[in-house]
Amino acid sequence: MTTIKLYANLRNLAGSKELLSITGKSLRDVLIELEKQFPALAGVILENGVLRQHNVISINGHHATDLNTPVIEDDMIAIFPPIAGGWS
Amino acid sequence: MIDEKLYEEFRDIGRDIFLTGLTSSHGGNMSVRVGDKIIIKRRGAQFGRLKPTDFVKTRFQGKDSGIVRASTELIVHRAIYEKTSALAIIHAHPRTAITLSLSRDEIIPIDNEGSYFFRKIPVVTVELASGSTELAEAVSEALRGYKIVMQRGHGCFAVGQTLEEAYHWVSALEEVCDIILEASLLGEEMIEYRKHSESYEKW
Amino acid sequence: MAGWNGKILTIDLTNQTHEICPLDMEIARQFIGGRGLGVRLLWDLVGPDVEPLSPENALIFTTGPITGSGSQTSNRFNVSSKSPLTGTILHANSGGWWGMQFKRTGYDALIVRGKAKAPVIIEITAQGVEIKDADQLWGTGVFETTQALGQDRNNRNVLCIGPAGENLVRIASIMNDKERALARGGPGAVMGSKMLKAIVVEGDQKNKPADQDLFKFMLYETGKLLKASPLTSQALPEFGTAVVMNVINEIGALPTRNFQQSQFDQAEKISGEEITDTILVKNQACWACPISCTRITKTKSDKQGEGPEYESAWAFGAQCGIDDLDTITEANFLCNDMGLDTISMGNTIGCAMELTEKGLMEAELDFGQADKLLDLIHDTAHRRGIGAEMAEGSYRMAEKFGAPELSMSVKKLEMPAYDPRGMQGQGLVFATGNRGACHEEGNMLGPEVLALPRLIDRFATQGKAGIVSVHQDSAAVIDSLIYCKFANLAVAEEFFARALSAVTGEHFTADDLMMVGERIWTLERLFNIREGFTKADDTLPDRMLSEPVPDGPSEGCTVKLAPMLEEYYAFRGWDENGVPRSEKLKELSLEFAIEAEDD
Repeated sequence: MTTIKLYANLRNLAGSKELLSITGKSLRDVLIELEKQFPALAGVILENGVLRQHNVISINGHHATDLNTPVIEDDMIAIFPPIAGGWS
Repeated sequence: MIDEKLYEEFRDIGRDIFLTGLTSSHGGNMSVRVGDKIIIKRRGAQFGRLKPTDFVKTRFQGKDSGIVRASTELIVHRAIYEKTSALAIIHAHPRTAITLSLSRDEIIPIDNEGSYFFRKIPVVTVELASGSTELAEAVSEALRGYKIVMQRGHGCFAVGQTLEEAYHWVSALEEVCDIILEASLLGEEMIEYRKHSESYEKW
Repeated sequence: MAGWNGKILTIDLTNQTHEICPLDMEIARQFIGGRGLGVRLLWDLVGPDVEPLSPENALIFTTGPITGSGSQTSNRFNVSSKSPLTGTILHANSGGWWGMQFKRTGYDALIVRGKAKAPVIIEITAQGVEIKDADQLWGTGVFETTQALGQDRNNRNVLCIGPAGENLVRIASIMNDKERALARGGPGAVMGSKMLKAIVVEGDQKNKPADQDLFKFMLYETGKLLKASPLTSQALPEFGTAVVMNVINEIGALPTRNFQQSQFDQAEKISGEEITDTILVKNQACWACPISCTRITKTKSDKQGEGPEYESAWAFGAQCGIDDLDTITEANFLCNDMGLDTISMGNTIGCAMELTEKGLMEAELDFGQADKLLDLIHDTAHRRGIGAEMAEGSYRMAEKFGAPELSMSVKKLEMPAYDPRGMQGQGLVFATGNRGACHEEGNMLGPEVLALPRLIDRFATQGKAGIVSVHQDSAAVIDSLIYCKFANLAVAEEFFARALSAVTGEHFTADDLMMVGERIWTLERLFNIREGFTKADDTLPDRMLSEPVPDGPSEGCTVKLAPMLEEYYAFRGWDENGVPRSEKLKELSLEFAIEAEDD
C-alpha cells in the first residue's frame, strides 16, 4: 500500500483530506485504482490513460511525469491539481 | 559532446517528430541557445535517430568552425536568436501545412484547439528557400510576433523556451492543417461555433 | 494620443510647488510606462551622490498605457526610487484601484522631490493639485488614515504610509486602498523622509482605446483564455496564492526557521487549503480583474482584513517555525496597518530568532513563539527595543550582532519563500535580481515546480541562464505595461502586445515587448553599477552556497551558482564581471548610459 496525499480541490472531489492508502506497482496502477475508489476523480488526473496537463505529481518529493514509474510500499505520492503560481 | 539531459531531449523529440511524419528521414533541424552558444543538429544527421555526436556547438554571434558541420539553416537559427527571445527552435516539414501554404498567405484554424493556441499562422515566401539571408530576415522578423510561421512550400519554424514547447507548436500546427484539409475534402459548409473568429486574420 | 496621457506631474515638497511637463514619446515607446518609465526618469534624477532618505531622492509613481483601459488586470501601478534598505534601484508595484484612479487624473507619472517642513498630503483631483497640512494624521495607522481621507473604491483613492514609514523603518511599505502594498525595498521610508503622509487621487479622464474593434477582440480572447486556465479560473480564486505552500513543502523547497531546513512539518496548517477551510470569508478582485485571488479573512478575535498571501503566511509561519494561522493572519493585518513589508518583516524576525538561539543576541525570542509576533511588529514600526534593530533590516541587524551571514538576504533584501537549494534556477534569480533577492523579477516557480509552461529539472544548472533571462525580461515589461503577472499564467506576451497595439493605435509585437523588457533590465543593472554594485554582489548567503540541505527531497543540495552565473553573463551579452558590453547597450539604444561604464 502506497500513501497518497491529495491537495487543493482534489480533496473536495475525493471528499476527504486524509491520507489514502492505495495498492499499485506503478504510478499508472495507483492512479487508476484511485479513480476506482473515488469516482469523482475520474478524468481529473488521468484522461484516456494519459496524465492531464498541469497536474503536478511528486513521489517522495520528486516530480514524476512518467506513468510507468515504479512505486513501492513506503513511497509517498502527492498530487496537486493545476494550481496557482503563488506570487506574493 | 553535449549535456546528457539535453541530448535525451533532442533525441526523444527528434524521434517523435520523425515518427509522426512531421519530417522526412534527414530533413528539418533543431537547436537550442545555451549561454552565448547555439547547439544545433549537424548537417546530414537523421532526425529520428540522433546520436550524441550529431550536434554542433557554435558561437551565437560571429563565425567559428562550427559552421562547417552545422545544419544548412544555421543562418536562420542565428537570426531568430538575435531577433527574438527564443531559447529553442524547431524547423520541420509537416506535409499538410506545406500543402496549405502553397495556396494561402495565412493559415487560419477552424478547430477549437488551434483557435486557442494560434488564431493565425502567417506564411512567408522567399526566392532562395534554403539557408539564405533573405530567409533568415523574413522568418526571424515574422517570429517576433508569432510562435510558429510557415515558409511557403518548405516548412515551419517554431520557437519556444524549451524544445518541448517548440515541438508542441509543430505538432499542433499539423493537426490544425489536417483538419482544414479534411474539412475541405468533406466539402460541407462549416457551422461557425466560435465568437469573434472573423477577427483571427487580424491576429 | 491614446494609452498614454502624455503628461508628467512633478511636485517639489521643499518649495511646495508643482509643474507639468510633457511625456517624451520616444522614451514612452522605448520604456512603455510603469517600472520602465520609472527607472528611465530616475536615471536622470538620482545619482550615486544621493542618500535614499535625503530630500534629493525622488519618489516616482507611474502607470502604463494599459492602465485604466479595462483590459483584464489593468489596475496596477509602480513606484520607483533608490532603496534605503539596499541602495539599489527600488521598484515595486501594487494592485487595487489607486493606479486606475491616478491614471484618470491625466498624468503618466508623478515625481515627488524635496521634503516638506511638516507632515503633508498631496491631493490630485479634476480641480488641480493641492498640498495640504497633515499634522493631525501623522502617527496614525494606515487603516484610519485611509478612511479619514475619504477612500471610496471606484471614485477616490488613498495611498499612504503608516507609523513605520514615518519612523524611517528601512522595511516600511507604502499602502494603497487600505490593504494593497508597494512593499519591497522600503519605499515607505522614502515617503516618510519627505514628510509625505498620503496621496489622494480623484480623476475623471478615461483611457479610451484607439482601435475599439481590436480591443474588443482582445478583451474577448483574453477572457476566454483566463476562463480556460484552471489556475486563473479555479485554483487562484478558490485557494489564493497560499495554495502553493504544500507543493513547495512537498518538494523540499520551503525555507524553515531562517532557511536552516527546507521542509516545515506544519506546512499544511498554514496552507491555502487551511485558509479556505478555516478563516476565509470570501475572495475579492482588484479593478477590472476576473481572477479574484484576494483573500478576505476573519480571525477568531473577529478581526477581518485581506490576506495572508503565500509569502506572508510563509514569512510569519515556516520562516519563524510558527503554525498558528490565526496569529499569522493578524500579523499580516498589523503589517498592513503599520505599513511594513511582510516578507522582510517575517524574514527578519526569523533571523532574530536564530541570532538568539545561537546566543548572539539577547532577547526573549525562540522559533515557534507566535505570541511574540504582534509586539515585535509594533516595536519595529516604532523603533522600540529589539524592534529598533529589526527596523534596519535583517542584514544590518545580524551584522551588528557579529553574524551577517545569518541574514538570509541578497544585496540586503530579505529572501522570499523559496529555498534555492531546492530550485537552482531560483538561486540564479535571487543572486542576479536588480532589487535584491526577489521572486517577482523572473520567478522560476512556473518552470521548476508547476510545469508552466513546461517542467524543467529543478536540480539542473545548465541552460537555466537562458530561461531566467527570458523570465526577467518578461517580468520587467509586464511591470511596465502594466499587467498583473497572474494574467501571464493564462496568456502570453503576444496577447499583451496586441492589446497594447489596440489601446495605443501603434503596432507592437511580442518581441518588441521582450526587447523593452531587456532594455529595462539592463538599465536597472547599469543604475546599480553606477551605485557601485559589482559581480561580488551577485551572490547568495553562505548557507545557500555551502550548507547542504539536511534532509528531505532536496537533501544534500547547495546552489551551484558559479557556473550558472558564468552562463548568465554570457547569455546576456555582459562581460565576465557582469557589466553590459557597449555592443549590447547600442543594440538596446542605451548609449546615453555608456558614460556610466567609463566612470
